[in-house]
Amino acid sequence: WKKDEFRNCNQTPFCKRARSRQPAFSSLTAHQVTISDGDLTARLIPKNQTDGQIKPLILSLSIYQDGIARLKIDEDPTLNPPKKRFEVPDVVLPEFESKKLYLQRLSTESIDGDVGPSSVVYLSDRFEAVVRHDPFEVYVRRKGGNSRVLSLNSHGLFDFEQLRVKDEDEDWGERFKGHTDTRPYGPQSISFDVSFYDSDFVYGIPEHATSFALKPTRGPNVEESEPYRLFNLDVFEYIHDSPFGLYGSIPFMLSHGKSGQTSGFFWLNAAEMQIDVLGEGWNAESGILLPSKQKTIDTFWMSEAGIVDTFFFVGPSPKDVVRQYISVTGKPVMPQLFATAYHQCRWNYRDEEDVEQVDSNFDEHDIPYDVLWLDIDHTDGKRYFTWDRVLFPNPEEMQRKLAAKGRHMVTIVDPHIKRDDSYWLHKEATQKGYYVKDATEKDYDGWCWPGSSSYLDMVNPEIRSWWGDKFSYENYAGSTPSLYIWNDMNEPSVFNGPEVTMPRDALHLASIEHRELHNAYGYYFHMATSDGLVKREHGKDRPFVLSRAFFAGSQRYGAVWTGDNTADWDQLRVSVPMILTLGLTGMTFSGADVGGFFGNPDTELLVRWYQLGAYYPFFRAHAHHDTKRREPWLFGERNTELIRAAIHVRYTLLPYFYTLFREANSTGIPVVRPLWMEFPSDETTFKNDEAFMVGNALLVQGIYTERAKHALVYLPGKESWYDMRTGTAVKGGITHKLEVSQEYIPAFQRAGTIIPRRDRFRRSSTQMVNDPFTLVVALNSSQAAEGELYVDDGKSFEFLNGAFIHRRFCFSNGQLTSVNVVPTAGKSQFSSDCIIERIILLGYSGGSKGAMIQPANQKTEIEHAPLRLQGGRSPAVVTIRKPGVRIADDWMIKFL
Amino acid sequence: SSSFLKHPYYGISPQDENYYKTSSDTIKCKDGSNKFTKTQLNDDFCDCLDGTDEPGTSACPNGKFYCQNTGHAPRKIFSSRVNDGICDCCDGSDEYDGKVKCPNTCWEAGKVARDKLKKKIATYQEGVTLRNQEIEKAKLSLVKDEEELSKLKTEEKTLKGLVQQLKERKEQIEKAEEKERLQREKEEREKKEAEEKAHREKSESVEEAKQENNDVQEHASFEKKPDDSTPDDKVSVLEHSPEDQDMAKGNAEDDKAAEAEHVVTSDNVEEPWNEVELSAAEKIEQSVSPKSEDNSAVVPDTGHDAGSELSHHDAGIELSHEEAKKVGNDASESTEELSREELGRLVASRWTGENNEKESQEDGVKDKAHEVHEEVPDSTHDGEDDGYATDTDDDTERYDEAGKYDDHIDNDLDESYEDEDHDDTSSSYKSDTDDDLDLSETTSPSWLEKIQQTVRNLLQAVNLFQAPVDKSDADRVRKDYEESSAKLSKLQSRISSLTKKLKHDFGPEKEFYSFYGRCFESKQNKLLSLSSHACLVSLQSLPIQTSYPGRRSLFNSLGVSWDKFEDSYRIMLFSNGDKCWNGPDRSLKVKLRCGLSNEVTDVDEPSRCEYVALLSTPALCLEEKLQELQHKLDLMNKEQPQQHDEL
Repeated sequence: WKKDEFRNCNQTPFCKRARSRQPAFSSLTAHQVTISDGDLTARLIPKNQTDGQIKPLILSLSIYQDGIARLKIDEDPTLNPPKKRFEVPDVVLPEFESKKLYLQRLSTESIDGDVGPSSVVYLSDRFEAVVRHDPFEVYVRRKGGNSRVLSLNSHGLFDFEQLRVKDEDEDWGERFKGHTDTRPYGPQSISFDVSFYDSDFVYGIPEHATSFALKPTRGPNVEESEPYRLFNLDVFEYIHDSPFGLYGSIPFMLSHGKSGQTSGFFWLNAAEMQIDVLGEGWNAESGILLPSKQKTIDTFWMSEAGIVDTFFFVGPSPKDVVRQYISVTGKPVMPQLFATAYHQCRWNYRDEEDVEQVDSNFDEHDIPYDVLWLDIDHTDGKRYFTWDRVLFPNPEEMQRKLAAKGRHMVTIVDPHIKRDDSYWLHKEATQKGYYVKDATEKDYDGWCWPGSSSYLDMVNPEIRSWWGDKFSYENYAGSTPSLYIWNDMNEPSVFNGPEVTMPRDALHLASIEHRELHNAYGYYFHMATSDGLVKREHGKDRPFVLSRAFFAGSQRYGAVWTGDNTADWDQLRVSVPMILTLGLTGMTFSGADVGGFFGNPDTELLVRWYQLGAYYPFFRAHAHHDTKRREPWLFGERNTELIRAAIHVRYTLLPYFYTLFREANSTGIPVVRPLWMEFPSDETTFKNDEAFMVGNALLVQGIYTERAKHALVYLPGKESWYDMRTGTAVKGGITHKLEVSQEYIPAFQRAGTIIPRRDRFRRSSTQMVNDPFTLVVALNSSQAAEGELYVDDGKSFEFLNGAFIHRRFCFSNGQLTSVNVVPTAGKSQFSSDCIIERIILLGYSGGSKGAMIQPANQKTEIEHAPLRLQGGRSPAVVTIRKPGVRIADDWMIKFL
Repeated sequence: SSSFLKHPYYGISPQDENYYKTSSDTIKCKDGSNKFTKTQLNDDFCDCLDGTDEPGTSACPNGKFYCQNTGHAPRKIFSSRVNDGICDCCDGSDEYDGKVKCPNTCWEAGKVARDKLKKKIATYQEGVTLRNQEIEKAKLSLVKDEEELSKLKTEEKTLKGLVQQLKERKEQIEKAEEKERLQREKEEREKKEAEEKAHREKSESVEEAKQENNDVQEHASFEKKPDDSTPDDKVSVLEHSPEDQDMAKGNAEDDKAAEAEHVVTSDNVEEPWNEVELSAAEKIEQSVSPKSEDNSAVVPDTGHDAGSELSHHDAGIELSHEEAKKVGNDASESTEELSREELGRLVASRWTGENNEKESQEDGVKDKAHEVHEEVPDSTHDGEDDGYATDTDDDTERYDEAGKYDDHIDNDLDESYEDEDHDDTSSSYKSDTDDDLDLSETTSPSWLEKIQQTVRNLLQAVNLFQAPVDKSDADRVRKDYEESSAKLSKLQSRISSLTKKLKHDFGPEKEFYSFYGRCFESKQNKLLSLSSHACLVSLQSLPIQTSYPGRRSLFNSLGVSWDKFEDSYRIMLFSNGDKCWNGPDRSLKVKLRCGLSNEVTDVDEPSRCEYVALLSTPALCLEEKLQELQHKLDLMNKEQPQQHDEL
C-alpha cells in the first residue's frame, strides 16, 4: 500500500477545515417554514447576520411512502450563484418520485423548553419529521413522545460553503504530490452531523477493508484515526482494517441497537466524502447535552461539493431499512442462473489453447464451473472490443465450444480508451467529442494499461447510449451471445493522475467538474455497459456485468467484487465484513477474489477460501499474472477433492441461492446477511462479522486461521441448528466450541426452515435445469418448517411477466404442502417438469413409516438414506424416497 | 429419466455384469455402505454413495457410466454426464432421455484412433530399437569413460612423479646456479678492488635479469610483457607441444587470436588486472577485434554463437538491473519529479512488474511475433559489437556464458583457462567444455612415454656437478617442468570432470548417457522460443524469449541448473534459476516423450517463470509401453469386425 500517494484528511483542505470545527459552530436558523407544493420548505439564515453577506439557503423536506423523509438543502437559484451545484442524476428511481406524499399541513410545537418553535410534519403512521427552527435541526421521531430515531445538525456542525467570486489575492489551487487542482470554483464543501438514536453500532458506507460494525474514528477513547473515506480509488495492495477508501462508495449508513430497531441515513452526493464515527464522549467539552436519554451514535459527514440531498429511513426492522433504501436507489439485478454459479478467472488465460486446456481440465476432474474469464491481455494492445489475433485467432469458435458445454465467457472492457488514431473507438469518440475534458477543455489524456488514454464522459446519456451500441455483435467483432462483460478500472484508475485517478478539475458535460461526480463515474460506466448488453439481445437477455467501482444504485446493473485483494488470511477474514456491508447497502451481488489476487496462497488458505467463497453471492477465483497457477487440480488429489467438494456445495445450493437472489431482486434483502438481520434483538450478533447468514436458513462460519483445530461458533435464537454435514441438531443461543477439520467450514441450517437443493452434479449449472430437487426440511421445536423455491428460465426477462415458479413449502401438523407464493390469476408462462426426488426431514420426531401424497393419492415409504451424496461418509437421515411430485404443482404429503 | 432405460443393466461394463446378476434379491454397494434391491438398480435414486446402484443414471454423483462404444474403445464416464444434453460416448449411449439425439460416431472415431495408435506403435517399435542402440552405446561409452578415468589416474600418478622429479631437479639446478653465482660474485668481489667501476656495474645488470626471470617463473601466471609482437616465453609455456608452438610461431594471426582469447579468458580470474595485463589486453583487442568479423578461421563460430548468447544474457542482466532500479524507485518514491508519462508507467508497473523503458520502446508494436523478430538481430548485433570490447562488471558472467555455448572452443584456451584458480561458479563451465576437449593427445600412451623418455634423457644429460651449469640444459629442465605441470593440471581437471560425469544419474539403463552435455534445439513456438541451443543437462542458462502476457517480449535468461529426474524419468527438472519479480525462482520442466530423435517440440510458460518444454527422445520408448499399446490395439481390433458388420 502506497500510503503517501493518497491524501489523508489533513492534506485535504475541506476535510481538515470541517474536522476542526467545534459543536454549535452552526448559527443557521430556519425561517419562512411553510408547506409548498407538498413539501415543507424553509430558508436557512445565519442567526446574527448583520452585513447580509451570507445568502440564505433553501431547505425542502419531502415525505415518501413507507417512512422515508428526504431533506434537500441548496443555494437559492434565484440569488444568482456563480454556478448551479451538482445534483447526482439517474440514481434515484423515477418511480420513487411517484411515492411522494403531498403534505397538507404542518403543526408547530415548542419542544423541550425551546424558545423557538419546531415544525412537525407527518412521516408515517408511527413517525413524524421535525424541523426545529432555532438552532436549525432536522429529525425524525416516533409519534407520541419525543423518542428520536435520526437527526441532523443536533450538534450544530452544519456548514455549507457557498460558491462565490474569487478575491483577487486568493489562490484556490490545491497541490498534492506534484498535481495541481485549479479549483476554479473555490471552496464549496458541505458538512454536518447526523445522530442515530437507540443505537449500539453503525454499519454501511462501503467500501473499506475494515470491521462490519464501524469503529469510532474520533473520541476520547479512540486512537486518532482518519475518517472513513468515500473516494473511489484504485489502491495497489490495499490493507485490511483501514478506513481508507477503496474502489466504490455508497454514502448509506445504518444503525442498529438493543431495541432491535434499525434506521438508515443516505446522502446522495458523489463528491469525495469523509465520515467520522464519533466515539462516546467526543463532545464532552462542548457542554451541549442532548435532550434525550437514548443511547446515541453521532457521526460527522463531510463532502467536497454538491448539495445536501439526504434520506432518512425509519425502519424499524433491519429489513425495513434495506427495503426503504432500495425503494430510492433500485432493486438488485436478477442475475442469470449461470452468474450465480462458479467463475474461473485469471490474469490471464493466455490463448485459445490455454482456455481449452483449463476448460477440459475441469471436466477431467469432474469439477463444475460456469464461466471462464479473459483479462486485459486478450485484447489487441488493450484496445477493448478487439482481440489479440495471434493469441485468439478464433474467438467465436472458442466461445461456441464453451457454450456447447453450457458455459459462458466474460471479457474485460475498461473505460480507458487508447489514444491511437487507428483505433476506431478512439477515432469516433474524438470526432464526436465524447471524452471527458481537462481543465483547459481539451480531451483529457491520462495513462492507463494501453498507455496514453482518454475517458468517455459517461454521465452523458447520449454517450452511454452510444457506448451501449458497441456491444452489438456487429460492433464487437468476435463476441457471441454467450459472452458477457467485466468493467475494471472504472474508479476511474489513471496511473499518472492525482491519487491514481482523474484530476478533480476535469470537466464533464461541458461544465460539471469531475470532483462533483467522481464517486459515480464507475456507476455510469457500469450502467452504460449493462444497458448495452440488454440492447444487444433486444431486451430479451439479462445482462451480466461485473464492475469494480460502484455507487449507490449500482445494484441495478450487476455484480461487484472487492478488487485487488491479497492472498493472506487477514484478507480472507476481511472479505466477510466487506461483503456483509455491500449487501446491507444494496450491492448484494458481490464477492472477493477467491485465493486472493496478489501473491500465492498456500494450499490450506486456498482451500479455506474456496470453502468460504462458495457462500459469497458472487463466487469467482482470480489471480495476478505473476502468481503461480492455481486451478483447483494443481494441489494434489486430496486438495482437488476438497476444492471440488467446496464448489459442489455451491452447486448443490444453487436453487437456494437463486431463490435468494429473487428475494433480493424483489425486496433488496441481501443474499448474504449479518446475523442481526435475522436476529435483530440478539446483542451477541451485533459485532459478529466472522459468521453470516445465507438467506434466513443458513449460518456459515469461516475459518480464518492456519491449522485451526477449533472454532467458536455462536448460533443465535432459541431454536436448534442442524449441522449441514451431519444433520446433527445443535442448540441455539450459545457459543459452541466446535472441532474443525480440513474438509469443511462450519455451516448450519436453522430449525424451522426448508432449503431446496439439487444433488446431481453437472459440468455447469446449464445442465442442471432438468434435474430433480431435494428438499431439506429442518424442523423446529413445534415440528414446523417453511421455505421457498423460485425457478424461472434463468436468463430472460420473462419472469417480470410472471413466467416463473415460486413455491412456498410448509411443514406443519404432520404434513408438507407446496403452494404458490404469488397466486397468479392466469397460468404461469413458465413450466417445468422437474420433480422432487428426495425429501429429507431433520429433527422429525414422528414415527411414521409411510406417507400419502395428495392429490395423486399415492403412498410412499419413509426410510433412512444419506444426508449428502458427496464428500465422504454421510449419516442416514429420515428420507421420503422419490415422492415424484412436480415443483410446478400444488401438492401435499401427509405423514401416516 | 430411468423410464428411458433400455435394460436394467444399462451402464454396466461386461466385466462387471456378474456382480449385478446375482441370484439374491439384494445387492451390496461396493463400498459396503448400504445394500439395495434389484428394483432399485438404475431406478434413478441414489442408494449407494459410490454409485453401485445407479450405473446407468445420473442419480449418484460418484458413479461411473460404461459406454460400450463398439467400433472404438469402451469408456467409463462420470455419471454426471448421463442425460446432461451433451454427447460424451461415441455410441451416444449416455444420452437416452430423448432430449438430444447423439449420432453414433464410433466407427469413424475408432478408425482415427486406431490409425493414430498404429502410428504410435510404429514409432515405439523403431524407438525401442533406437533406445536399445542408445543403451548399447551408452554402455560402451561408460566403459570407455571409466577406462579412461582409471588410465588417467594411473598417468596422473606417473606424471606427478615426473613433475616432482623435474621440480627437484629444477631446484637443484637453481641451487647450483645460485651457488655458482655466489661463487662468481665472490670472485668478482675479490677482483673488484682491482677492477674498474664500469666492470662492476656490468655484472650487476646480469644478476638483475636473472632475478627477474626466476620471479616470473615461480608465479606461473599469464603476465605478459607489453611487447607482444613475438610470442615470448610465457606464452609458449602454455602450448602443449613443440609442434603447437611451432605452428603458433608460424602463424602470427592465429597466435594473436589465441592471445586475445587467452587474455579475455583470464579475465575470469577475480583478481584485479595489473597494469601490464591491461595494456596487453587493450593492444590485442585493438589489433584483433576489427578482424574478428571476417576472420572466421581464427575464432570459428565462437564469435557468432557466443556473441548472440551473450547478448541474450546481457539483456537478462540489464533487465534485472532495471528491475532493481525500479524497486529502488518504488522505495524512495520521488514521483513528483517524474513526467506524467513516467508516472503513469511507474504506477502501472506495480501491477505488472513491467519494465518501464522496455514498455516505451515496444509501445505501438502490435504483433508479438514481430517483436520477437525485431529483438533478436538487434541484440545479436550488440553482442558482436561489444562482446569483447567492453570491460564491465559482468564480464565474468558473460565469458562463462561464452564458454558454455561454444562447442568449438580451442583446446589451448580451455586449458589455459583451467590453469587458473577457479571459483565455484566456473566449475560447471569446466565440466561442460571438458567433454568437448580433444584429449586424443593427452590420452595417447606414446605421449606419456615420450615425455618420460625425454625427462629421463634430460635428467641423465644434465650433470649437476658440472660447473658452470649448462645454460641450455637448465632452460630445458625449467621448460619441461612447466610443460609437465601444465599437462598434469589438465589431466587432473579431466579426471575431476569425468568423475563428476560418472556420478550423474543417467537413468536405470543409462539411456540418458548421451544427453550429457548435449544441446537440443526447438523451433519457434508462438509464445516462447528457445532461441538457440538449450543444453538440457548441463544447462546453466536457457535464454528464452517470452511474450508472456502483461510483460511483452523480454529476454529472460532462466539461469536454471540441473536438478533431477522426476516421475520415473519422464520429467527432467531444472531449478534454482533467476529470481522473478514478484514470482518464484525460474525453473524449467522438460517433459520427455517417446520419439525417434532428440528434439524439443514445445516450450511454454504455463505459470509465471515456470517453464515447460517437451522433448521427444528414443530414451522414452519403452518396451513395456509398446506392449501395452499393442495390447490396446488388439482389443480395439477384436471389437472392430462385428461393429463393421453391424454397419
